[in-house]
Amino acid sequence: MSSPTSPTSQQPPPAPKSPPPASILSTPLAKTYATIHPFLLLTLLAIRFNALVSSPVDTLLRDLLPLAALQLAYVVICLPPAGTIDPGTTAESTTTTPTPTDEKEKEKKSSSSSAGGIVLRPGKRGYRRKAHGASSGARGAIMAKVAASLLSLALTTLLATPVLAVCLVLFGAPLTTHHLETVLCAAHMALLAATGLVYVYGVDGAAWKEVWGVLRPADAVWGAALGTCVGAWFGAVPIPLDWDRPWQAYPITILIGAYIGYFVGSFVGRSSCVFGKRIVIDANEGENKDE
Amino acid sequence: MESSLDSANLTGMDSSSPIASQSPPAQLDSRNAPIPKALAAMQSKTRQRGTIQDSLTNGLEREFKFKHLGLLGVLGWLLLLHVAGIFFFTKGFLLTRMVLENKSSCEVLPFDDPSHLGVGGENNGCWHQKTFDKAIVIIIDALRYDFTVPVAPNEASDMAHLYHNNIPVLYETAVNSPDKAFLLPFIADPPTTTLQRLKGLTTGTLPTFIDAGSNFAGTAIDEDNLVAQLRAAGKNLVQLGDDTWQALFPGYFDANLTRPFDSFNVWDLHTVDNGVNEHLFPLLHPQNLTRWDVIFGHYLGVDHAGHRYGPNHPAMGAKLKQMDEVIRDLIAKVDDDTLLVVMGDHGMDSKGDHGGESDDEVNAALWMYSKKGVFGRTNPETVLPPNSARDRFVPQIDLVPTLSLLLGMPIPFNNLGSPIEEAFAGAGGKDWNNLVAVNRLTSAQIKRYQHEYAKSRGAGDGQEFQSLGLLENAEDGWHTLSKSSKAKSAALHSVYESYRQYQRHTLDICRGLWAKFDVPSMFQGIGILFAAIVLLVFYARGLRTNRTELTNSLLCSVGIGSGLGGATGLCLSFANVVDMQALESLALLAAVGSIIGGSWSIFKPVGRLVLPLPDSLWGWLAVLFTVSQSIGFASNSYTIWEDEILLFFLTTFGVVSGVSSMRQKSTADRVLGAYHSILFILLGRIASFSRLCREEQMPFCRSTYYSSATSSTSAPWQLAIPFILTLMLPGVVRSFYAGSKSYEGAASLWIGIGFRLGLFVTSFFWLLEGADDGEWLPLSKETLKMVRVFLAQLVLALAFAAGTTAFIYSKPCVSVNVTPASSEPDSRSTPAQQPGRTTVTILGFGNVHGTRFFLLAVNFCLGIVLMQKPMGQGAIGLLLWQILSLLEILDTNRLVMSNSAIGPIVLALLGSFHFFKTGHQAVLSSIQWETSFIPLSTVKYPWSPILVVLNTFGPQILTTVAVPLTVLWKRPLQLQGQSKSTTGKPSNPAIALLSDVVQAACTYMLYFATVNLATTMWAGHLRRHLMLYRIFSPRFMMGAAVLGVVDIVLVFVAVAGVRFSTLSVGEIFGW
Repeated sequence: MSSPTSPTSQQPPPAPKSPPPASILSTPLAKTYATIHPFLLLTLLAIRFNALVSSPVDTLLRDLLPLAALQLAYVVICLPPAGTIDPGTTAESTTTTPTPTDEKEKEKKSSSSSAGGIVLRPGKRGYRRKAHGASSGARGAIMAKVAASLLSLALTTLLATPVLAVCLVLFGAPLTTHHLETVLCAAHMALLAATGLVYVYGVDGAAWKEVWGVLRPADAVWGAALGTCVGAWFGAVPIPLDWDRPWQAYPITILIGAYIGYFVGSFVGRSSCVFGKRIVIDANEGENKDE
Repeated sequence: MESSLDSANLTGMDSSSPIASQSPPAQLDSRNAPIPKALAAMQSKTRQRGTIQDSLTNGLEREFKFKHLGLLGVLGWLLLLHVAGIFFFTKGFLLTRMVLENKSSCEVLPFDDPSHLGVGGENNGCWHQKTFDKAIVIIIDALRYDFTVPVAPNEASDMAHLYHNNIPVLYETAVNSPDKAFLLPFIADPPTTTLQRLKGLTTGTLPTFIDAGSNFAGTAIDEDNLVAQLRAAGKNLVQLGDDTWQALFPGYFDANLTRPFDSFNVWDLHTVDNGVNEHLFPLLHPQNLTRWDVIFGHYLGVDHAGHRYGPNHPAMGAKLKQMDEVIRDLIAKVDDDTLLVVMGDHGMDSKGDHGGESDDEVNAALWMYSKKGVFGRTNPETVLPPNSARDRFVPQIDLVPTLSLLLGMPIPFNNLGSPIEEAFAGAGGKDWNNLVAVNRLTSAQIKRYQHEYAKSRGAGDGQEFQSLGLLENAEDGWHTLSKSSKAKSAALHSVYESYRQYQRHTLDICRGLWAKFDVPSMFQGIGILFAAIVLLVFYARGLRTNRTELTNSLLCSVGIGSGLGGATGLCLSFANVVDMQALESLALLAAVGSIIGGSWSIFKPVGRLVLPLPDSLWGWLAVLFTVSQSIGFASNSYTIWEDEILLFFLTTFGVVSGVSSMRQKSTADRVLGAYHSILFILLGRIASFSRLCREEQMPFCRSTYYSSATSSTSAPWQLAIPFILTLMLPGVVRSFYAGSKSYEGAASLWIGIGFRLGLFVTSFFWLLEGADDGEWLPLSKETLKMVRVFLAQLVLALAFAAGTTAFIYSKPCVSVNVTPASSEPDSRSTPAQQPGRTTVTILGFGNVHGTRFFLLAVNFCLGIVLMQKPMGQGAIGLLLWQILSLLEILDTNRLVMSNSAIGPIVLALLGSFHFFKTGHQAVLSSIQWETSFIPLSTVKYPWSPILVVLNTFGPQILTTVAVPLTVLWKRPLQLQGQSKSTTGKPSNPAIALLSDVVQAACTYMLYFATVNLATTMWAGHLRRHLMLYRIFSPRFMMGAAVLGVVDIVLVFVAVAGVRFSTLSVGEIFGW
């Protein structure tokens, strides 16, 4: 359920080689926090639920910063920044990757050093540093993380939020009223879905082309992003019901759906039975819609 | 048969049918081009090879025509199955009662009996000696019976609630002076809404869903009723309070004294009540007594307190206390000749709401009071008012004969109620003569009504009413009594009882007729519809082979099955084994027989069927859309918000198609697919701004369809929409044609000139309509109407007469260029070309089927646009654009040739969505009846109903016409020569095309059939639901009507049209 609103901006590179699925970093801290983080988000939602129901705009606005902080912490601690996805650093995961993606990973391995066709790749430097000298590796990695996290925050705010807001309106959110609700809901969804994606893939055209085509191999980041969108889709279901509950007001259910979708998606995307697989729309074998 | 032989001879000589052999050269001459080798080669080849090739072509064409007819037969069978299913369900579900226009009159007694003594001078009353001259009828809305009787705190476990013991005046007076007052439970017939209750309380008959009378749309009561009778007797009537009375009885009340108040503001507990008090009490002043005869006062405070707070709230107690005061004041002020009636029109449930038929909702209270002291009890046990509403209750319709006879009026013609015993028993309770007299009158009137009703239904006299025997008994008793000079009270009592028995028996029968669902019939209907869907699912999605191969055996077994079934039905009916009319039992068993025959033919051969499960995300999406919506119809919310849900689904499809487009290998497909996906979503969202809200959507919806929420005319700015359409829509269609270089031949003429002209005349029509409404032109209304009718008929003639002719006879939208040397290697050309010498370039070759067939959609679009209000025209324009966009999406995502279910299903969603965007809702009141006068000045059958259908279901009709396009758009042209199979039997690509078309048509039908089955089942299941009449029943009726319209258009227009477009393509390109 990703946004198709700016697909034409993605000029396909001559020979696009998309990055392999990203795994959680292998440090113990990363592994632990990656498990805790989705629970933290759900807890945040549960704690703030009453406030959200009573005054959605205020609560959403106030929760924006904590959410951004949590998401940044998550990506910095747990995920490899853009350009560093390298079979070497994610060796553990590559071995567990199911066979269909293995060949692509190999292609990637061979081409990653010569992937200069892509102009801007934040974190590239870090990757090079790491590749060249281990002495400055730690510093480079930090720089890469800072750059990637700044980039992800900027793109999430500047691009993903408007795109998602437009999507919300296209799906039937009011156009003339509830502007703040729409924008804030989109901002929350963007923080959930896009922060990780931008952090891990930067502005890698091939990766984003796969994002627009919902073709990414499953991993924690992509699962969470897709889960957010699908969850928000299902979140719209209870709105019309005449139960007269205050939480049925737009956009509360959509947000709850998005958070739950994020939670489910991030775990399912990481699970070994799904990791690395792609969603099939129109082929003989594919039936599953997502996850 | 003869004609086909003729054409065979002709083609034998000319190599093609006459039209084809003449027109292409003419066309080519005008272009100054040499004879196209493709065609010439074909011609010469066929001439040389003589009859072999020729008869082959001819055979292929004949095979196509024959198989096409067969498929129409299959679709027609499905149509008949749907009709039968809907008929049997409707027969059991939609309770109808005919409204008789007959009026009782003072001069005509219900029986011809000169001995009747009731008729005296004009001052004594009509049919019966009157008791009162004047009456004050006070309705305390939602006055439940238990509010009025004392509830002792120590009584059992039941604690006294806040609503108890607050209005004791009614009980006190009834106990203290039984001759002056009585209090009884007063049982309402559901639905317990005020409007339906007032109908019952004044006409004396039972409410049904459709009171099939002359005045279908309006709310005014047009059958005989108490108010009309009072008015006819020259009484001056005053109405105070709830303005529902004004809607029901427009013009009956004294305009100077009447004070209606808005009844819908349930948050306001006091405005109506204070307003009634303010105007009621001055009328009771002695100097005002001559100004009125009957006052109807309608208090709403109790009802509103219930809605707002629920009954167990101090506000309710306070409100009831206030009513107590009001009644005490009335008692003090009322004079001897005035009857005072206080009643509730319904009760309220534990939450304070009403509308359904639970005990608390139907239990109201009735209290009558007069200072004359004429009331009595026939039995000492009944002196006290009953403690609970279950004892000695009277139906609400009993008020009608009671009031009529007390005031000396004729009983309204349709009345089924009985005179209330206490009101006629006399002070001592021994006036049996009076009781017998009033009951004899009432019974005679009921009999007269029975007779008239049976007569106008066309049934035998009193066939339904086996109660006439009871009446004869009573009459016999009466005559024996009247012969003996002095009647004994015991004998009178028994005669009275037999009259009562007759009345109640008749009432029970009528209740059975009008208020009982015929569940077996409903199940028969659902069964047929369900079986039809199962067959349709397997026929549309589960067959692996070509559908045309099945046609013969299917039609045969269906024919045999229905014939056998029908014959069995007739026999059973004549043998009186089943209790059904002959025709119904014939239809039922014929349907069942054809289902059995059809299943035998579809399921018998093994290996041909696969489980009809989707094989891609597209298929699952189609299932998700259809099934989730169908389940949603069980909920009133999802039914109310159907328009938003459809938008949600359409946008979902657009997003998925955008995603899928991004996966395409070729850049052109990717860009085009993404562009059209975004366009599709945007157009849908723009269309969604055209809204006509239904009542239940308030306050979350704002109507934009008309100039304001309370008008049904277009705003001046909306008159620009048709002109914008004129400017843009032909260009839009052209751009889609130009994409495949198909804007050639008939297309440029018909779309560029004919379509545009029609749209222009349409916009001019609506400009004149606006000018008429706004009186901008110094022309008389008659002149304007005449001009408008002419313009509208012109457009219809252009769309349907000229358009159909053009569609049937025009050539495919291609142009042929012949170049001496081969220039473009990638330009596709016909296979019959001779190698080396010349190249024949045929522009528009890539979409020859689609563009040719789309002309039909253009015709219907024009006709439907004319029938819509300006805002709806915009919606139809967007719909046409979305259809084209959808077709491109299907093409770029390779869904045209893969027979995916998603194309037809999304088309169905589009049609349903735009139904709501053309100013309609799934409620009866949104039908735009006035549109039938667009091309007509008077109502003309059958045209007027067809025009209303064209307006109401225009979007669905347009998408139905477009269904074959989901497999024709940019379908590669396959010729028999190309796909020549190795076996001797030639494979005919036109037959494959036919099979695909019918698959798409059946898939499309499947959506509407599923929705229809779902709404039918939910309406049947929820037949006791509070919202049945407001939400579920109208949605069921809409679903059934849409299915019927869609089936008919599919059979007679969409799939039938494929014949002409394919023949036209075949004539040029061969078979």
